[in-house]
Amino acid sequence: MRALHAAGRAALIAVPVLFIATFITFGLGALSDQNPAAAAMGETATQADIDRLNHEFGLDRPFLERYVTWIGDAVTGDLGRSWFTHIPVAESIGQRLPVSLSIAALALLLAVVLGAAAGIGAALTAGGWFDRAVTAVCAALSTIPAFVAGIALIVVFAVLVPVFPAGGYVPPSQGVGPWLTYLILPAVALSLDSAADLARQLRTGLVTTLRENYVTGAVVRGLGPRRVVFGHALRNGAGPAVAVLGLHVPRLIGGAVITETVFAMPGLGQLATTGALQGDVPVVQGTLLVAIALVLVSSVLVNVALARLRPGSVRTA
Amino acid sequence: MRALRLAVRQRAARIALAVLGVVVLLMITGEWLAPYDPLHQDTTAILAGPSAEHWLGTDYVGRDVLSRLLAGSRLSVIAAAEAVGLGLLLGVLPGLASVYVGRVFEWLSLRVMDGLMALPFIIFAIAVAALLGNGLHQAMFAVGVLMAPSFYRVTRAAAIGLRQAQYVEAATLFGATRWRVVRTHVWQKVLPTVVVTTATAMAGALLVVSSLTFLGIGVQPPAPTWGGMLASDLGYLTQRPFGPVAPALLIIVTVAALNALADAMTVDPATTQEAPDALRR
Repeated sequence: MRALHAAGRAALIAVPVLFIATFITFGLGALSDQNPAAAAMGETATQADIDRLNHEFGLDRPFLERYVTWIGDAVTGDLGRSWFTHIPVAESIGQRLPVSLSIAALALLLAVVLGAAAGIGAALTAGGWFDRAVTAVCAALSTIPAFVAGIALIVVFAVLVPVFPAGGYVPPSQGVGPWLTYLILPAVALSLDSAADLARQLRTGLVTTLRENYVTGAVVRGLGPRRVVFGHALRNGAGPAVAVLGLHVPRLIGGAVITETVFAMPGLGQLATTGALQGDVPVVQGTLLVAIALVLVSSVLVNVALARLRPGSVRTA
Repeated sequence: MRALRLAVRQRAARIALAVLGVVVLLMITGEWLAPYDPLHQDTTAILAGPSAEHWLGTDYVGRDVLSRLLAGSRLSVIAAAEAVGLGLLLGVLPGLASVYVGRVFEWLSLRVMDGLMALPFIIFAIAVAALLGNGLHQAMFAVGVLMAPSFYRVTRAAAIGLRQAQYVEAATLFGATRWRVVRTHVWQKVLPTVVVTTATAMAGALLVVSSLTFLGIGVQPPAPTWGGMLASDLGYLTQRPFGPVAPALLIIVTVAALNALADAMTVDPATTQEAPDALRR
């Protein structure tokens, strides 16, 4: 019930945000001097061609009317058609979304597992060599952009010691094993920054929590270290880490776009980049809309997780 | 500049400042320091390793890597500075205004900033570059707009804590105008956090510039950029596996120096921490 309440609140906040963000997205398209005729036919387009295509794509109607139509269609899953290929944008996105989502999801999983292990380990050995090593590695990792990490991983694991493919993608329908081998390097590259941040936040949160009286109390009552850390301290200490995770989800989705390009994977990033370089406005707008929706959905989920973790935060948030 | 003075007392910050100084110096003088024309193709030395003639080797059409790196620094740093400047302007002013102008503006600006935060940096920058003409300035305009929320939040957090401060109240009672209060009292408190955020934002902007130029957004092919060099190295990893090392190191070292500087300048945790309860009324 509490979680449902938090989800409702977060969704209420997300709705105006969605409208503002999509309005900005759509407004940019209207501001641009790109038009389908110029994009598809280039210099040879006559005024009649331009008018005809503008009419076909509804560009001769007023701006607000177009925005309302676009948003209305988008709700029903229709994102318009590409100015070049005339393929429905939703269809192109549908084909590529699984690639980007696979990378982002695996990266998220890796970030949580690696970050939690490093963060909890560092907090328990606070001041010791493991703690200092984690802190140093995290500081180093957070300065390496995902695409540089990706290139480094290719050099090491695909060129010098060829154990993984340097790029490409195989859908899971052709076997989960091959799918994972193509996914592992990009996901690792993408996860490093988030894992480092997560570890840092978790360490700080846990070190503070472990000093609390109720933790001492639990130890005094004779509970084992595992029970104290996972049953008592983690629940309170993980709050900032979960919140930071919420900030990282949009970064992972955006970062997937770059990482895909490094590893030559046919994902959303490739769609957006080629669309951008051609001036294909509906494709770019559609990709951005899907990305915004993903970010908002994930922020609602993070809020729900926070509410479950710390019931008190619902009232103050 | 209390923050900067405090920072200079720390060794890490001095090293960071020295590194940044070198980067800026290279950016300004790079054109004359570069041993070759960054676009000159030496077809007798393609994908060459480091040598006396080419300290960092050559790329796939025989262009001198060192010269391209030096020429690329200027473009990358200026582009990042553009974005940060815009973010500063669009974040700090509304951040102050949200505390002092009125409820309607406060509500509206908070919603707009929330909306901006939902836009993923890279995809939005790609979209803007596509829609407004494929140029680095257009892309940086987009990045600048998306950086506004972080400046807005720190400014607002620092300013909001002062609204009820007794000395500000006293100044108001003595007849100081709202503008004078902002200029003399609030600005003092806001400035250090804004400086820290600027350093972090600059690091972030450099990463975004490198990522975008890596994708080929905003630059025409022969022009050298840090990201663009990495992208072209990527195709020749089997012949020259250590090709990406030089541009990658330059990006990493610059970003690390900016982050270290920001860490060192974080004076008082109370002023940099956000006040979530006060912000989410």
